[in-house]
Amino acid sequence: MQNYSIFSLVKNAFSNHQNWEVAWKDPEPKKEYDAIIIGGGGHGLATAYYLAKEHQLTNIAVIEKGWIGGGNVGRNTTIIRSNFMYDANARFNEFGMDLWRNLSLELNFNVMFSPRGIINLAHSDAQMNAYARRGNSMRLNGIDAVLLNREEVKKYIPMADFSDDVRFPIFGGLMQPSAGTARHDAVAWGYARQADSMGVDIIQHCEVTGFEIKNGKILGVNTSRGNIKTKKIGLCVAGSTNLLAEKLNMTLPIETHCLQACVSEPVKPLLDGVVTYGAGHFYISQSDKGEMVMGGDLDGYNSYAQRGNLPTLQHVLTGGLALFPFLSRQKMLRTWGGVMDMSMDGSPIIDKTHIDGLYINCGWCYGGFKSTPVSGWTFAHTIAQDRVHELNSKLSLNRFTTGELLDEKGLGTKTWIG
Amino acid sequence: MLHIKCPYCGLRSQKEFSYGGDANVKRPKLNAEVTDKEWDDFVYMRKSPKGHHLELWHHTSGCRQWIKVKRDTITHEIYQTAKIEEQIS
Amino acid sequence: MTNPYRLENVGFINRDKKISFKFNGKEYFGFKGDTLASALLSNGIHLVGRSFKYHRPRGFFGAGVDEPNAKVQIELNGYSEPNVNATEIELVEGISATSQNCWPSVNFDIGAINNLLNRFFPAGFYYKTFMWPKSFWYKIYEPFIRKAAGLGVASIEKDNERYEHKYEYCDLLVTGSGPAGLASAFSAAKSGARVILVEDKPMFGGSLLTDDVTIDNLSGKEWANKIISELESMPNVITRKRSQVFGYYDHNMVAMFERTGDHLNNKSKYTPRQRLWYIRAKEVILSTGSIERPIVFGNNDTPGIFLSSGAKEYLKLYGVLVGKKPLIFTNNDSAYETAIEFKKNGISPIILDTRENHESDLINESKNLGIEIKFNYAVIAAHGYKKVNSATIGKLNNSKTGFENKEKINCDCICVSGFWTPSVHLASQSGNKLKYDKDLDAFIPNVSKQNEVSVGAANGTFNLKETIKNGFQKGSSLSQKVTGKEVNLPVPQTNEKKHGKHDKFWCVPLPKGNNYKRFVDFQNDVAVSDIELALREGYRSIEHVKRYTTLGMATDQGKTSNLNGLQLVSNIENKIVPEVGHTTFRPPFTPVTIGAIVGRETGHHYMPTRKSPMHKWHKDNNAVFVDAGVWLRPRYYKVGNETLQDAAKREAENVRKNVGVCDVTTLGKIDIKGPDSAEFLNRVYTNAWLKLPVGKARYGLMLREDGMLLDDGTTTRISENHYHMTTTTAQAANVLTHLEYYLQVVWPELKVNVVSSTEQWAGAAIAGPKSRDLLSKLLPTEDVTNDGFAFMHYKEVDFFGVKARLFRISFSGELAYEINVPSDSGLFLWEKIIEVGKNFNLQPYGTEALSTLRIEMGHVAGPELDGRTIPSDLSLDGMISKKKDFIGKRSLSKKDFIKPERQKIVGIVPVDKKTSIPEGSHLVDDKNFKLPAKKLGHVSSSCWSVEYNNPFSLAIVAGGKTMIGKKLFAVAPLKTSSIEVEVVSSHYVDPKGERVRS
Repeated sequence: MQNYSIFSLVKNAFSNHQNWEVAWKDPEPKKEYDAIIIGGGGHGLATAYYLAKEHQLTNIAVIEKGWIGGGNVGRNTTIIRSNFMYDANARFNEFGMDLWRNLSLELNFNVMFSPRGIINLAHSDAQMNAYARRGNSMRLNGIDAVLLNREEVKKYIPMADFSDDVRFPIFGGLMQPSAGTARHDAVAWGYARQADSMGVDIIQHCEVTGFEIKNGKILGVNTSRGNIKTKKIGLCVAGSTNLLAEKLNMTLPIETHCLQACVSEPVKPLLDGVVTYGAGHFYISQSDKGEMVMGGDLDGYNSYAQRGNLPTLQHVLTGGLALFPFLSRQKMLRTWGGVMDMSMDGSPIIDKTHIDGLYINCGWCYGGFKSTPVSGWTFAHTIAQDRVHELNSKLSLNRFTTGELLDEKGLGTKTWIG
Repeated sequence: MLHIKCPYCGLRSQKEFSYGGDANVKRPKLNAEVTDKEWDDFVYMRKSPKGHHLELWHHTSGCRQWIKVKRDTITHEIYQTAKIEEQIS
Repeated sequence: MTNPYRLENVGFINRDKKISFKFNGKEYFGFKGDTLASALLSNGIHLVGRSFKYHRPRGFFGAGVDEPNAKVQIELNGYSEPNVNATEIELVEGISATSQNCWPSVNFDIGAINNLLNRFFPAGFYYKTFMWPKSFWYKIYEPFIRKAAGLGVASIEKDNERYEHKYEYCDLLVTGSGPAGLASAFSAAKSGARVILVEDKPMFGGSLLTDDVTIDNLSGKEWANKIISELESMPNVITRKRSQVFGYYDHNMVAMFERTGDHLNNKSKYTPRQRLWYIRAKEVILSTGSIERPIVFGNNDTPGIFLSSGAKEYLKLYGVLVGKKPLIFTNNDSAYETAIEFKKNGISPIILDTRENHESDLINESKNLGIEIKFNYAVIAAHGYKKVNSATIGKLNNSKTGFENKEKINCDCICVSGFWTPSVHLASQSGNKLKYDKDLDAFIPNVSKQNEVSVGAANGTFNLKETIKNGFQKGSSLSQKVTGKEVNLPVPQTNEKKHGKHDKFWCVPLPKGNNYKRFVDFQNDVAVSDIELALREGYRSIEHVKRYTTLGMATDQGKTSNLNGLQLVSNIENKIVPEVGHTTFRPPFTPVTIGAIVGRETGHHYMPTRKSPMHKWHKDNNAVFVDAGVWLRPRYYKVGNETLQDAAKREAENVRKNVGVCDVTTLGKIDIKGPDSAEFLNRVYTNAWLKLPVGKARYGLMLREDGMLLDDGTTTRISENHYHMTTTTAQAANVLTHLEYYLQVVWPELKVNVVSSTEQWAGAAIAGPKSRDLLSKLLPTEDVTNDGFAFMHYKEVDFFGVKARLFRISFSGELAYEINVPSDSGLFLWEKIIEVGKNFNLQPYGTEALSTLRIEMGHVAGPELDGRTIPSDLSLDGMISKKKDFIGKRSLSKKDFIKPERQKIVGIVPVDKKTSIPEGSHLVDDKNFKLPAKKLGHVSSSCWSVEYNNPFSLAIVAGGKTMIGKKLFAVAPLKTSSIEVEVVSSHYVDPKGERVRS
């Protein structure tokens, strides 16, 4: 594989960039693989990469019904954080933060991970207390967290509404300075390129039509490009999880919903980190291109449409304007929707299933991007070793039976409210 | 923005309604013996089909009636709406 | 003083109204009716900005929404706004525009060094470098890149202008007022349909304003004016110009923004700046026209290069010449119209046509006018840095892959035409799966998913006669569909010039040895070589190409670049265009201000503010308010220089010692009626309700089906089949919906009705040992003795002539009563209590004191009812009936819910009896814990116990009551606090509950 660096860039510039190799090949599916990952999104590609790198499983394939990186890894707001209250989520994602910090070098692909911090704003004492509970819990898990008062918040975001003409004044906020953003497409492409270089077949435009299962064991998968034998299948298809579950006769604690996001026109930098509004569901950051990247509520009804409706966007941006009045004269440039696996307690599932050789990675709600590396890392472990890693041991499917729920928001099963 | 025909009030904007999830989820009868699995299926498990979906909506800023809506989860086309006690094909 | 490039007597500007404006600090003038772009061009100004990546000089390219380059920073009416399209903004007095993305000036831009180095910055270069050493990315490289980011500068000034929303319904919405739109709207309106016709430009007529056609022997513009004035006189028609339909949403909901203010010089106070329209249309006609497609050639981004339609528009609408020595470069006939317009105005263009010798009406006319035409010719490259001054042209070889000759000719502008792309954006947004038309080499609408139909150029019909005919036919048939009336209008006679076939040629090959940049997407600096590179590197899906090169992702959203990008991919990949597919069209069609999307719900109006009827009294008596959901509640009543803590302590102490009064109006209240009410309550609450007598109240807990506590409150049996339920302020709306769900969906057989009565009652709680004495004075005729009116009893009373409800219930844990009166009498109730209470040292108390009182009593509230606790977690096991089923009961037996080490409520007191424990602290058993620490629980609520005069907190701890007597540490690393605490009962004060019964 060609190494990417400033030197290779300069060298290639003098041959008019004619000699760059493909980032990943476009192979025909083989008859059989040691393992198949379904879903060429961030999580699927990361899983394949770590299977090859950490577990030396290289006779494997990632199969993708469309083009790689076309799902939620390519349509999110790129926020990366580990500011969770529950130990299981916090430790899992903090392990992921370490993976993020090394990712560009490890993949030899600049994913532009940039820890410019995240501030969750609070607008009441009760909210400050809830953030204190979360922040203290983070600190006790070794994660950085700072509780900011109003004046401290003002230093970070002086353009927020600190005037008197405000419905819910800013009381303070919880900050995770090491949180940040990354270039979402680059994550998918970087994993794909390295996985490919280690022998993983990345097969696009290959849709799963069914599964071969006998005596409770996975034997293979049927696809639009033929039947492929394998003893291990990892399902990484957020947004389509329920559809494949149906083909497997499984029902999951997941509902499928559409989440919209939008960007403004690019403007000169004025917002450094990520900010979330506390009196409404709204989050914002500014990309390296200058666009304000904004998101918030789900559209609020089951949906497989990668497009949303205006009232939700209006509602989200209303919160945005309450926080940052300067947004009023910025223009909304582009909107899009992603299809989410909303799990019943808001936390993901990475686990084995009742079918031998079938592993499941789903339920990411709207926070899957930040967990891409750790999800791939733990899922690869689970598939390769046929047992869960301690990090994902609580992200189990049966927690809904035992009651060991990980409900960070306390909203329960009405997924569309969360 | 969806346009939902409330069987009591007529066509109304989505803004007047709130969503109530899969209408095929049936609560086990009171005092009935139910297995753990049956109960968890009711509380947590969802089919979330792609395409036709029978669901509940609440006319929150209207007549405050819960209604049934048969909607397409890809196109959002609404095929039929009905009162709770009415059958929907 | 004249504009050097302005023609006399041509155009629709008002030459009597001169308007002065500034561009990059220099004063110019134009006329009313000009856009900023036409005014600048009339002054010979072409260099308007710099490109995003290479900082190349850029000029105007189009004349409307498709403009990729001319984005400027505007100062107007005291506001500064970035990224304004100079081709769309109307000239008004005092407008000041500046170029963006250049420093120190657009003429001399340091960033242009990027252009010299552009070979090092191909598509995706940043993915390949800036990785080492790892901290350098975000410490050095990224800050540098961020500095270069963005185009204009966002002002952080607050926007005080108004943005309004409007909801409109119609039978037929017609989007675009060109020939297709006018014909459709006219025939539909004549047939009786309610029609809305909208146009994004400041003038109706679309292509009729610039095309050389006649309809019923009128010029295009005259006919448009005639139709418009007739439409405007009809009561069933709404017309709007300056209105851009930007989104086609579900169920035929169309969103549009109207520019109502910025073009007015003296806008009235009540005129909004912009108005967002939600239009619910039974049918929609998309008459959005088409966008001219460029041809890609060397240095095709140089200022002075225009779309030929743009050049024509500047000439015909504004009387502005984009140059005096034009080169017209085309693959089709429509550019000949531009050439003819130049020639008619004394300018001699040269036409380069990529086609073989071609014959058509327009070509013949051009020849007759003496215009020089070079067939089989193409522009290889433009020359000139900040303005075109010459071009290398060449004769194409047979395969059109190279040139037979090359020559350089002088010119001062190049007008390019690569045929037309139907504007299918809205059709695609509506769900219409587009199809590729091989004759047009473009996507056109195919099968509708919603009630929309495209007419005219938007549908690929580039012929006026057909367009008008289709418009009349569609208008009347859609109208008939809605109104049932059939009206047949005569279709007007049209006269137009026939166009020949276009050439499938969009990208000029590079002659050997030449390395000109050929741009596909101007604003994002995406060149042909970038697309080639993406494909070479395996980014082969059109979405990968888009994301890797950023093709079509600039503020113009690729209106002029997407199809050329697709064509290139298709050529290189050897696939036909439909196999490559197109990227998704999403709203908005053009960028929309966030202010318009949000409307009026800004500042204080972000959410409604609810106030109790006693609000004024609270305010007059120094209440400091706190948000409780959307309600405002007194947090405390400030006396002198008191702090919150002082006041809360004073108020709480007075309740414990004397008597206090608290406004409890905000509590949710639900009226429950019907013969099955008791049975219903019995299912909804965890405890037993079948035997509650009339005139008594009971405390109840509600669960969700997953076993978690939803809410708590008291419910009173008012009469046989009538109950009054109270909920917490926060959950009032959710509980009502919850009850309605079970009554209507799950147990429809129950004869019960529920309705919110929160707004109907004002409530005051009087609490404290002297509350009975006070009550006896307030209700002198009632028996309020402990025997006469015991704990949890209810009766209807007469409160100084007002019918009131009296409850003996208590949240504070003291002897207490709650009086409800109709809301209108709320203030009367309150003032009377205050007046009579004077004799009993009564003081009002707010939520902070209330909080203190409930915490030291161990009563749970929001921080404990956080959606993650079951009753036994909060020592409420006694409230769980073993005998009956209820909502959520089945979940309570889950393994994790009954394990002994589950975290449950206790009280904690600092060992030093002095240090307050911060809420949100966690409990650990080892002071010198190591990370990650083992947490035993957390502190949910803290107060200063007024009973014991020391801090007290509620905590949720593993093992619950079994931990009582143990010493733990409450740690809050955020505040670097670590406090040794002793675990005590959560019922810190009056654990047996004697006071409430006293």
